[in-house]
Amino acid sequence: MKKTVSLLAASVLSISLLAGCGSGENAGGADNGKVKIEFFHYKREAMDTFDKLIEKFEKENPNIDIEQASPPDAGTVIKTRVSKGDLPDIISIGGDMGYNELSKAGVFTDLSKDKVLEKVQPAYIQMLKDITGQEKIYAVPFAANAVGVIYNKAIFNELGLEVPKTWDEFVALSETIQKAGKIPFYHTYKDAWTLLPSFNALAANTQGADFYEQLNKGEVLAGKRYKEAVEKMVVLSKYGHKNQQGVAYNDGNTAFANGESAMYLQGIWAIPEIKKANPDIELGVFPFPATNNPDEIKVISGVDLLYGLSAKSEHPKEAKKFIEFMLQDENAKQYIEEQNAFSALKGIAQDNPTVADLNVMMENGSVTDFPDHYIPTGVYPDKTLQTLVQDKDVDAALEKIQKDWEKVQSRK
Amino acid sequence: MKSDQLILNNPQSSPADLAKSKKKKMNAKMMAYYLMVIPAALLFFAFHTFPAIQGIYYSFTNWNGINLDYDFVGFKNYINLFKDTAVRDSYLFTFKFAIFAGVLVNIISLAVAIGLNAKIKGRNFFRAVYFLPNILSVLIVGFIFNFVFTSIIPNLGEKYQIEFLTENILGNANLAWIGILIVFIWQSCAFNVILYLSGLQTVPTELYEASGLDGANRWQQFWKITFPVIAPFFTINMVLAMKNALMVFDQIVAMTGGGPGTVTTSISYLIYTGGLAGGEFAFQSANGVIYFIVIVAISVFQLKVLQKREMDM
Repeated sequence: MKKTVSLLAASVLSISLLAGCGSGENAGGADNGKVKIEFFHYKREAMDTFDKLIEKFEKENPNIDIEQASPPDAGTVIKTRVSKGDLPDIISIGGDMGYNELSKAGVFTDLSKDKVLEKVQPAYIQMLKDITGQEKIYAVPFAANAVGVIYNKAIFNELGLEVPKTWDEFVALSETIQKAGKIPFYHTYKDAWTLLPSFNALAANTQGADFYEQLNKGEVLAGKRYKEAVEKMVVLSKYGHKNQQGVAYNDGNTAFANGESAMYLQGIWAIPEIKKANPDIELGVFPFPATNNPDEIKVISGVDLLYGLSAKSEHPKEAKKFIEFMLQDENAKQYIEEQNAFSALKGIAQDNPTVADLNVMMENGSVTDFPDHYIPTGVYPDKTLQTLVQDKDVDAALEKIQKDWEKVQSRK
Repeated sequence: MKSDQLILNNPQSSPADLAKSKKKKMNAKMMAYYLMVIPAALLFFAFHTFPAIQGIYYSFTNWNGINLDYDFVGFKNYINLFKDTAVRDSYLFTFKFAIFAGVLVNIISLAVAIGLNAKIKGRNFFRAVYFLPNILSVLIVGFIFNFVFTSIIPNLGEKYQIEFLTENILGNANLAWIGILIVFIWQSCAFNVILYLSGLQTVPTELYEASGLDGANRWQQFWKITFPVIAPFFTINMVLAMKNALMVFDQIVAMTGGGPGTVTTSISYLIYTGGLAGGEFAFQSANGVIYFIVIVAISVFQLKVLQKREMDM
């Protein structure tokens, strides 16, 4: 009797082990005749928007099930999944170094001849080509972001301030705010990456027009050409607040939303987060006055979200359907309205008054891509900048960026 | 063939038959033991040893983790390791951290264990409380302390006008490592306390009574009786604490991201960020191999030194 019971118990336990395996298998394949598509993206802020759009799509296509996956640090997660060979059907990241690396690794399907690209503005298609250095296009640009200076309209009105058009006006404005006892910028230096938006805006406008040309020839000019940008980063660090080394992105979003500073140096992707903390705040965004020549200043805008189709997808037709669905005018418009982004598609304007000041530049095409999309991974300019704003040593920072860049270059 | 049982039980079985049956019985027993061990050994090999060997293999290539092809580059990665300043800084930081953490964890857990061994009121309750940190997820604890250091402590500092508390220690390039040290010690002590506690309970109480009669004070009792008797536990605690401190990772992810700059980037953190996000997969695999050798070397050295000390005691 005892033996039978223990035998039964042992077999139940071992079978329950297998049950765990079993349900895992089904997740990838077809379930009750429905096709399951995994939509992997890095925009955690947009998960709610995607939920709504996915619901709409699933109503129109009852035999397709879309599963959203957006883990933290998605850029790293997708790379580990690639090395495992476990690819999601649709991969949505930004048009950055990650896209470059994944394209070169053969992760995406070649979409160069695909008619979905006809809807996309040529400037953004060109950006994808510039990033990979190839003529082939491996993804559909969907949304573009922009970096400007986010400002609190109420505080500006209170202090009677005008939007600055040149660097000198910008610094003078910060002085005025500081003297009035308020915080000009809510720096969040604990998160190294938050230093990049302002650095990008500064570097793109001051690094010299032939920077990329020289880079393609193998000449790394960072040490010399980034000097003005780095010096201006030090200037900006003086107009922060006491605990700027110790607060991170999320703390900054909340603090700025609660009116603790007049301006916030972040890209427009932060606006939905700020509005979550304080829906009543009145925000504006003005172009980053990187130099004293306002006519030459370009707005940093890159491909914020693209749709890549996995080359190994088991259901490419259904995945493609979802991408085409997202590219439809009303869906694209819903996304950019809820996420405060700019559309990379033709004919879809961003009407939100918050980013109205940027619209002029975006429509003129006075845009340029993020310089850090061209800095190879392994150089970590964000960490060097994090040290810079603490010890204010411009030469050390420039030397480090130059050395690290050369080191990574030589390793190839 | 007569059943083996019958042969063994029959006093008239021939010596040859007896020997054969005994061997069969022994083999049956051994089979059972092997069956119990082999599945676990297979899993261990598949999920632990095999990936480690794969890592060593990749360390001789230039794979970046996602490309479809790669080349063999021999020892190039290892040579580059010794030239790399980021790698060097991470080793220096980790060693500094490990020494402080190892020593402090042992002192504090020994002190706490002595306290928990005494006949205090609510002893079992306190033992549970001190063990609690061990069962909490290391990463979650890190995130919670991150919040404490970022928001709660500066607020307290502002309220009670304590100047040095008003800034987030994790944002200070010189002091960030202390924040990580505090959280690491807080959580690691739990396990070491248990080991020391079990060690303390092996000390015969008659020794204390006898020494008390001879006029020894608490301090002398500790150094001359307690410490020598728990020497083996001291050994194992030192080795484990050192090893865990050398492998510090979760707290760095949760609290500083290796920063400010790269001052709190430990070896494991560098291997993770450089190898996966940084596209230096093969290079960091080589780093991983060296890391393994370093930890084994340090642990073996510690064992040799401390076990010799045990013998001398």
